[in-house]
Amino acid sequence: MRCEVNEQANGGPGASDEAIRFESVTKRFGDTEAVAELGITIRRGEFFSLLGPSGCGKTTTLRMVAGFEQPSEGRIFLEGEPVEAIPPYRRNVNTVFQSYALFEHLDVFENVAFGLRRRKVDRGEVRRRVADALELVQLHGRSDAKPRELSGGQKQRVALARALINRPAVLLLDEPLGALDLKLRRQMQVELKQIQREVGITFVYVTHDQEEALSMSDRIAVMRDGRVIQCGPPEDVYERPAEEFVAGFIGISNLLEGVADGPDAVRVGPSLRIPAPLPDGCTTGEEVRISVRPEKIALDELEPGMVELAGVIESRVYLGMTTQITVSLGEGARLVVLEQATYRSRADDRWEPGMPVRLGWHPEHCLILR
Amino acid sequence: MSATGKVARLPLARRRAARSSRPRDFDRPRFLRVVIGLFLVWTFAPIAIVILFSFNSSRSLQNFDGFSTQWYSEFLATPQLRESLYASLGIAVATMLVATVVGTLLAYGLVRARNRLTPVTNVIMLVPLVVPEIVAGVTALLLFTQIGMDLSVATITIAHITFSISFVTIIVRGRLVSLNREVEEAAMDLGATRVETLRLVVLPALWPAILAAALIVFALSFDDFVLSFFTTGESPQPLPVRIYSSIRFGVTPTINAIGTLMLVVSVTAIAVALALPRLLGRRGGGVLIGKDAV
Repeated sequence: MRCEVNEQANGGPGASDEAIRFESVTKRFGDTEAVAELGITIRRGEFFSLLGPSGCGKTTTLRMVAGFEQPSEGRIFLEGEPVEAIPPYRRNVNTVFQSYALFEHLDVFENVAFGLRRRKVDRGEVRRRVADALELVQLHGRSDAKPRELSGGQKQRVALARALINRPAVLLLDEPLGALDLKLRRQMQVELKQIQREVGITFVYVTHDQEEALSMSDRIAVMRDGRVIQCGPPEDVYERPAEEFVAGFIGISNLLEGVADGPDAVRVGPSLRIPAPLPDGCTTGEEVRISVRPEKIALDELEPGMVELAGVIESRVYLGMTTQITVSLGEGARLVVLEQATYRSRADDRWEPGMPVRLGWHPEHCLILR
Repeated sequence: MSATGKVARLPLARRRAARSSRPRDFDRPRFLRVVIGLFLVWTFAPIAIVILFSFNSSRSLQNFDGFSTQWYSEFLATPQLRESLYASLGIAVATMLVATVVGTLLAYGLVRARNRLTPVTNVIMLVPLVVPEIVAGVTALLLFTQIGMDLSVATITIAHITFSISFVTIIVRGRLVSLNREVEEAAMDLGATRVETLRLVVLPALWPAILAAALIVFALSFDDFVLSFFTTGESPQPLPVRIYSSIRFGVTPTINAIGTLMLVVSVTAIAVALALPRLLGRRGGGVLIGKDAV
């Protein structure tokens, strides 16, 4: 699938705001296609995420940009220039590795200074820039520490400073927060995004954590089996998933299988007909799936204009901030509903299994996947 | 009945517990200490006797008549023996240098440039270690005479290098395998060429292992007898071969002095090899690149 930047049509070919362009890039390892026909353009200054399950080709994509792998077919352009002939040590990109890959025999200062030293930057400037970089990641004062004396979060910061100090055109991040615990990961997500805004460098971020991708990215490319399934801003990917896979991978998906019945409804079972806006070209009898995000479904307190259905509470799981309620619609169809706890009520005190309930949603929140 | 028995036994157990200051280690039976003691005596008694009699003031190998260093003086005063010492040291140093460089590169290649032949190479590399030394000696002798190479210090060195490479490779490879490949990629990513990556990142990480391997190889080469015996020329002969031939004409206390000296050299090499990685590991073995020099 193509994922071009729309605005670029006005800027003409090779517009100066493109950081990376993939032109039908394919990478094969033996018989397996790790990346297939990749064609995306990443804008300058963008926080771009490659999201997908392990083995979907996201890391391979990153490694091709860094120069550790060569595409089997297709071309990669970095700021408009083809990169296949440029070795990793001369590409204007830097990588933050999943394992941090710090140099254990060097202290924090020398780790961060490594890139500048390779480019023969003079000593005074090295000193100043390392101090700035450590300041940026809040590690000033730890420049004499050896990597083994640092915590996971601190190592992560050193790896980030070591890469950012070179002011690359693009910073590649390969699941950089994967090894951190949940709380630290949240904190680092905020900091990473802040740092990215501050330095204005293009970030290409590889992750399998959908929440991470949604919270940080300007745009997300969802990948599966080496292909980009959908590419767009987080809101689009979340609210309007292009395929069942995207809907399922991002958030809890409510999928009901059925057949199109008339221009504006889907028949799920013999006696269950759900009103839904069918996409153009959908003919009666075609097999489709209905998807409604769990948090978009209202229970009992329906608003005018909502699609209305009747069901029976099947189970209730208290999750703290939310409560997850499974409602049976009969015919073997069930929907998961997430109810938010509010200042007025605990979320979990309204429903008991077996209670009949009315549920509804606004038609625009209902997606038809073909 | 059984209840009274328990009560009766209790004070005895308490007495026992009180006798030893800490609880008995049931997983460390006492008789093992006896076994270890016997093992140590068995191993070190002959060595101790050699060292003791190397300082004997008389020629006797049975009675210690007084302290003297005359046998050391005699050893150093005998040109043939001195020549042998220098030959052995030279062979060991040359073997160490060549085997360390080749073995390290081989290890790097085996770990980093894997292909379908790597498993085969891994097995082939073990061959020099499992082939009986006498077989290695005979084959080396046959090879050298076949190709018309005169037996000399050079042939001994070549023979020593062949088996030493395997030692170096195995030791260095162990360390290399534990070195995360992403570290090398990170260096290249930050602008280091392949050679710079090797020099700045890989070698510092491998340094303790390489040093340990070098010293072990030095010690092995220095006191090797079988291979040296088959591949040595007339003169100079390496020290172990020289000792063997002189023993055939009767044991003199000089042999004790030589043995003691060889022991000191080998033990020192091995001890340094074992201690260095730990010392370097603790201090980091870092290379300062001018930060403090400003």
